[in-house]
Amino acid sequence: MVKSTSYLFFFISFGNFLSVYFIFQNDLRNDGRSKQDYRPIELELDIVTHANGSARVRLANTDILVGVKTEIDVPTSNRPEEGKIEFFVDCSANATPEFEGKGGQDLATEIGNYLGSSFASPLSFDLKPLCILKGVQCWKLYVDILILECGGNLFDAVSLAVKAALYNTMVPRVETVAMDGGNVDLQLSGDPFDCWRLDITNIPCLVTLTKIGEHLIVDPTAEEEECSMASLVVAVTESGRINSLCKTSVGSLHPQTLTDALKVGVEVGVGLNKALNEALGREEKRLQSNKPERFGFLK
Amino acid sequence: MQNIKIRLASERVNTSLTFGEEGAPHLYTPGETITDNQRVMSGHGTYMDEENKEVLKASVAGTVERVNQLICVRPIKCRYMGEIGDVVVGRITEVQQKRWKVETNARLDSVLLISSVNLPGGELRRRSAEDEQMMRKYLQEGDLVSAEVQSVFSDGSLSLHTRSLKYGKLSQGVLVKVPPSLILRRKNHFHNLLCGASVILGNNGLIWIYPTSPEDDSGVGGFTQNLEQVIDKEDRERIARLRNCILSISASKLMLFDSSIQYAFEESLNYSIKELLTPEVMLDVAFRTRHRLQAYKDS
Amino acid sequence: MPTDNRRIQGPEISTPYCVFGSSTENEDEDGCFKSTDPLSSTRKDGRALLEHRKIYMKTGVVSQAKGSAYIELNNTKVICSVFDPREIPNRVEYSQHGELFCVLKFAPFSCTTRRSHQQDAEEKELSLNLKRALEPAVCRHEFPNFQVDIYVLILESDGGSLAASITCAGLALADAHVPMYDLVTAASLGVAGDVLMKDPSEEEEKLCSQHFERSNLNHGLITVSLMGAHTQITQVWQTGSMTTTCVSESLTHLIQSCEETYPIAQRCLVKSVVDTISKKKVPEQS
Repeated sequence: MVKSTSYLFFFISFGNFLSVYFIFQNDLRNDGRSKQDYRPIELELDIVTHANGSARVRLANTDILVGVKTEIDVPTSNRPEEGKIEFFVDCSANATPEFEGKGGQDLATEIGNYLGSSFASPLSFDLKPLCILKGVQCWKLYVDILILECGGNLFDAVSLAVKAALYNTMVPRVETVAMDGGNVDLQLSGDPFDCWRLDITNIPCLVTLTKIGEHLIVDPTAEEEECSMASLVVAVTESGRINSLCKTSVGSLHPQTLTDALKVGVEVGVGLNKALNEALGREEKRLQSNKPERFGFLK
Repeated sequence: MQNIKIRLASERVNTSLTFGEEGAPHLYTPGETITDNQRVMSGHGTYMDEENKEVLKASVAGTVERVNQLICVRPIKCRYMGEIGDVVVGRITEVQQKRWKVETNARLDSVLLISSVNLPGGELRRRSAEDEQMMRKYLQEGDLVSAEVQSVFSDGSLSLHTRSLKYGKLSQGVLVKVPPSLILRRKNHFHNLLCGASVILGNNGLIWIYPTSPEDDSGVGGFTQNLEQVIDKEDRERIARLRNCILSISASKLMLFDSSIQYAFEESLNYSIKELLTPEVMLDVAFRTRHRLQAYKDS
Repeated sequence: MPTDNRRIQGPEISTPYCVFGSSTENEDEDGCFKSTDPLSSTRKDGRALLEHRKIYMKTGVVSQAKGSAYIELNNTKVICSVFDPREIPNRVEYSQHGELFCVLKFAPFSCTTRRSHQQDAEEKELSLNLKRALEPAVCRHEFPNFQVDIYVLILESDGGSLAASITCAGLALADAHVPMYDLVTAASLGVAGDVLMKDPSEEEEKLCSQHFERSNLNHGLITVSLMGAHTQITQVWQTGSMTTTCVSESLTHLIQSCEETYPIAQRCLVKSVVDTISKKKVPEQS
């Protein structure tokens, strides 16, 4: 694959700003997309053997790999009936040399925090089914996000990958729980395929809306991100509810722009969720067939 | 209303066009013996074995090129190696004393000396101290320029010049990056394509696409930038389509020159511009283009 | 999580006792919800639903800092100090714009549960939001390659900490004579079902961040910061789950309360300037 757009040694500054900016009028972007078009997205489930669930999403040049591991933990004392979920984002220096050392850390915390807050409401993701024994044992989901390549619009791609990986996650079934003195005795099902799956219906997808000049666009490329005045990330569920909202870059917005952005964001977000569900269904069907092939980075 | 489609990894297409057996050149890998003929000279991408002085081995992966006794291995994917007379497109990264630093995708930054540009006011003007102070007025950081390689320094860095009206600062257009080895060396690298847009095919793999100006054929030259002029929708559509076409045929590793680009443009007309971003369509365009090129060669 | 060896950490794992009073707390929640019933339309502290708490602001509270400010909304108390611009440490490349370095910290005794001395994830998130809220208001091009340090300490937290911190930091920046396009004021709003509560207290915030299982109701919190003179939103941060109409409605209310806070901040700054001038004049007269 030729990396034609993510060219790291260029300072994408004034010169490029103009070339992006001028091509903007009449709802036509540099690459022929309209303001609300996404670049091609590719999805693959279950590509990491040792994870309980995994997914890889490629959004043009942006490449995200997510693995979910389930472990047993003690519930927090103020939420004894709930399991836990935690997000770790790793902006590895593989993606761009800028991430080397501590360079990617700020971005990683920003993405991780934002995912956390979009999952915070029980209306996005219910943690109650993850409880094994109230106040004593629960499942903890470790969602590890690797950014392999960075071609703009990380938030959207990460959220798609996370939702897909959680869809793919198999939590082992606990057969019996017994309290033996102070110790807990867990008996997991002997059959490794005896698992249950998480409910992902209400998990939101993130939609980044970037303001360039007077235009609001979705799915910005790396160049477009460089030229943006401000961007807004909206977490939208399948039913069109907003589960989180945040401004992510320098710059400010007029209240009217913000309300317009919300409308666009919700509309796009519903479409994105729909597309993802459809793709997940097809991929699941493929995995159900005997001997499904794993593609990963091949072909 | 946007229409988002997520494809699966299993539906991925292989973008490389197989060229059949007979035309395929032998590819050497690093460490592979090229020849044990003692009379050859070791060129770029090769080395003499330490122990066995007669054996010439490859140090990069690529095809062998032979000029009399000199043997070189030309790598498939590399940074640009400049040659005198090449047309390049680059971006100003720094303004220094009497020179501009230009990023040209070469291994080292190139320089553009103030003495090798045509300053406003005629060919034979002395460079004064004022000119040096005015340097940022002509070209500043982030500006894109087209230039020609004037000489190559001993460390491999390039010295550029813009002493012709066709070279100079670029104003409105789109920059595309492809591997430099895909640019076919031609007499002319400035083309006004039949489809109604112009391209500069930089030997360094940077391609500048801009609207054809109606009045003259002198290209873009000089230090003026017309940023107020609004380019109409048809022109922008043509530019966006050209951009996607160039990316499609470069993804399939077809050589880039005026007729291959023109053919790709014509073959792409069956599709909408944004469809050209999907891998299947890219492959189809590249395939048809290759077919046309073959037919032209055969006739 | 790295631990700080120089500090005595106390027992490794301890649980605040108030967690165990959960059975009564549940009833409390219901009680709280009833009191925020639209029919009664008064809250526990006697405010109307769309009534902001009384605000007290003061600048120049820390004499050693370049600029400082203190803000109090009933039981939410925040102090902020801003220091002189200094060169960005550990940075090789030149940056054309100055940077804001924001640290937001809860005092260990500020909440019902004890906070650690080190910045935890929540504090980091709030710091980032604070930074994003202030960045558009500061003329960052006027001090290239420099950073301004902004330290916010939440002395006591009773809801609306982020909003109070943003307003406070905005005042402190102005007090430090850092060039700014406009003053920044912020406000928060809680949504629980059909009820919108301006400037929720800690208890109300907790209520809003929970979801009532009875129905698919809206719930959540929104914080907005605004540059009053330019009507530009510098930051918006929402959690919970709401419909679009609910979000837009909340935004209207929030912008209104930001605009209401704006003249208070202005007056506070003017007063501090007047005070300095009159103080200077005194020795001349004597």
